[in-house]
Amino acid sequence: MSMAQELTRPMPHVTTPGGERYDRAIDLERVRAAHRVLYSARETLMADGNTAAAIATLQMWRCVIFAGFPITPSTKYIETVAARIAEDPKGLKRIKLLEAEHAVADYMVGASAACRDLIFPTATSSVGLDHMTETTRSLGASGLGNVLLIDVYRATANFPLCIEGDPSDTLAHRDDGFLQIACRGKQQIYDTMIQAPCLGMHHEVLTPVMPGYYGIKDSHRSARLTVEPDLALHAFQDRWIQPCPLPGLINGDTAFGNCVTSRYFQGFKVAQKHRMERALDLLPQIGADFARTFGRPGLAYFDQTGWRDDDSLDIAVVSMGPDFGTLETAGPAFEKKTGLRVAGIAMRLLTPFPSKAVRRRLAGARVVLVVNQAHHYGRGHLTLDVVDALSELDRPPRVVSAFAGMGGADVSEATWEAMLEGAREAHAGSPTPPYRVYHEGRAL
Amino acid sequence: MSGYKDTAMAESCFRPGSTLCPGCMEAVAFQNLGRVTDNGIKTIFTIGTSCAEVSTLAFPNVVAWGRGDGPPHDYTKSFAILHNVFESAPTLAEAARDVADTLTRCGALESPVQVVSASGDGGALAIGLRALLHTIHRRARVTILVLVNEIFANTGFQYSPATTPFAETSTTPVGPDFQGNPQMPLDYIHLAIAAGAEIVAQVSPAHGKLYVKTLERCLDAKGTAVVFVPAPCISGWKYEDGQTIELALLGARTGVFPAFVWERGKGGKILDCPVEQSERPAVEEFLGAQRRFQHLVRRNADGKAAVRTGRADDVEQLRAWTQANVERLYHLAELK
Repeated sequence: MSMAQELTRPMPHVTTPGGERYDRAIDLERVRAAHRVLYSARETLMADGNTAAAIATLQMWRCVIFAGFPITPSTKYIETVAARIAEDPKGLKRIKLLEAEHAVADYMVGASAACRDLIFPTATSSVGLDHMTETTRSLGASGLGNVLLIDVYRATANFPLCIEGDPSDTLAHRDDGFLQIACRGKQQIYDTMIQAPCLGMHHEVLTPVMPGYYGIKDSHRSARLTVEPDLALHAFQDRWIQPCPLPGLINGDTAFGNCVTSRYFQGFKVAQKHRMERALDLLPQIGADFARTFGRPGLAYFDQTGWRDDDSLDIAVVSMGPDFGTLETAGPAFEKKTGLRVAGIAMRLLTPFPSKAVRRRLAGARVVLVVNQAHHYGRGHLTLDVVDALSELDRPPRVVSAFAGMGGADVSEATWEAMLEGAREAHAGSPTPPYRVYHEGRAL
Repeated sequence: MSGYKDTAMAESCFRPGSTLCPGCMEAVAFQNLGRVTDNGIKTIFTIGTSCAEVSTLAFPNVVAWGRGDGPPHDYTKSFAILHNVFESAPTLAEAARDVADTLTRCGALESPVQVVSASGDGGALAIGLRALLHTIHRRARVTILVLVNEIFANTGFQYSPATTPFAETSTTPVGPDFQGNPQMPLDYIHLAIAAGAEIVAQVSPAHGKLYVKTLERCLDAKGTAVVFVPAPCISGWKYEDGQTIELALLGARTGVFPAFVWERGKGGKILDCPVEQSERPAVEEFLGAQRRFQHLVRRNADGKAAVRTGRADDVEQLRAWTQANVERLYHLAELK
């Protein structure tokens, strides 16, 4: 009996808290079968960050519609997707160009609600993300974990307007309700795109994901990238992405929205924090599975450098992004010069902030230097999170706050050294200001 | 396409439980839309923030949408509704349409799906004009309803780009130096045609059969179908109970919002509204029933509307505007 014949008969349905779900309405295996393989074997190529993100999403069988609007520095993502799709006009994948970012966000809601088992990716940046805000804040609690909103970091809320990458945009959207994961390096961008939907679409999480990477520094500069065969990538995602337990618009009788809504979805909103906390448990598991499968580090709360078996050290650094790589050389040089032990972490999971893991990691430090790269009204987004994380310790380390790399400026070795000098003052017991702003090797 | 009686007997997906004002035209519009969509095809409905949304999806009340009292075995009666912000409804509908079409293209979805969006005139013509026109421009195969009550009713009856000239709203007050709305309404019908709609209509449920038949045509359209539904608002227009249908008919017949149906390649028709002003009811009859125009027109003891002293020029301006409005629609009807 064909599916069409079945549809004329009573269709089996499952009662869920969100309404009836008709599991036979959509045959996802047909979508999978329609996927055209992009890479059949592991390959190494040169790619910038936008291309790495585009390739990852194009390889996913669940990604069939790519909505977008151009904005520097994320434009090449949608251009790359468009070019690849144009090479295969008979394929299932389609690009959807809309009139502005707010429409992209609305489109993402409609599409992801229509079929909750497909992944709907887009890339944006800075004011583009701001334009989306009305809807991203609605999406956050919607249960639409199949939204993959890639943010290519770019300074915003700044004048003069700057196309360089600092994470002011993504950190200004901490409360949109997305899981926010920061990447550094092309390989990490590619790998994160593959893993992020596994987290967002997990049936206990169901929260949209906003992976991000630095504009220009990572979006536009090329490096070696290892891409995995599509089928291996599919097998990995399929281990984590189960059919959504909630009905979508096409396979269900359901009603949901964001303003005033049904009893169930109000409850869903109330449970948002619990679902985000569940993501904290699942993220390392997904990361470990990725590492076992592909032999590269998977999702983690943070990257680390300089840590030894003994957790006690003089200065622990907390930062994020590609400039953290410079610390990997500046830190040992500073150790050699001063005799102080230095280690650092680069945050990957921004929201929810992994407070417990950060507290465990930093507990043995005498001073914690937090390097913020985004505009903030006070001591810095990361600083506030770190101070909060450490507050439960009996004797919390002293926290020194710095701003550097604002507007996408490089954080040079000289700047790292100047910031570490500031931390050394605190280590010696000298009073320090609430924060310092650094640029080109000196405190301003 | 079913007979009118069949449609009238169909099961509406608009169910008890709404908190729309008694006498609200939107409830009538939804009742009829709900019946038209009970046509053996699964329905997806998207809705922007508006009276229609806050009054039908209101927590903790029941959701006033859904179909069937029996067990939901029949997928073709299945109904799903998605709400998002004011301007979003056409874009949401377009997205759902695209996903359904993509699934259909690869054989993953064999049952057809019909997609309808609903917005208010504030959501569609002010906040969301850009979204409305671009969804039309992309020829999305959806039916877009714009419920035109000429105000932001949900937020307290403020001016919208569809407000009739001289109407008093909470942001276009009447006073010694203020005579209500000073703006000419946006020509949204022409905009929808120019943007590329397949069908553009202006019809309310007061023209019952025309409304139902137009909706049926829209659901069958190969491109974007847009229906502007004149929706007298009992609270915002300030009229007496029981006059909703009468006012909708008067508004159409006097030329304020004539019933109009246009289809690309075929042209259009104006119904129940002759181009000759003398053959139409006087616009004062429409104005006189509403207190939003009480600074221009009053009701005499015999129930007839009379222009207030010193307001003849204003009413004459309104008369000229309605005549221009009617002539404009007759011109638009000639477009193919």
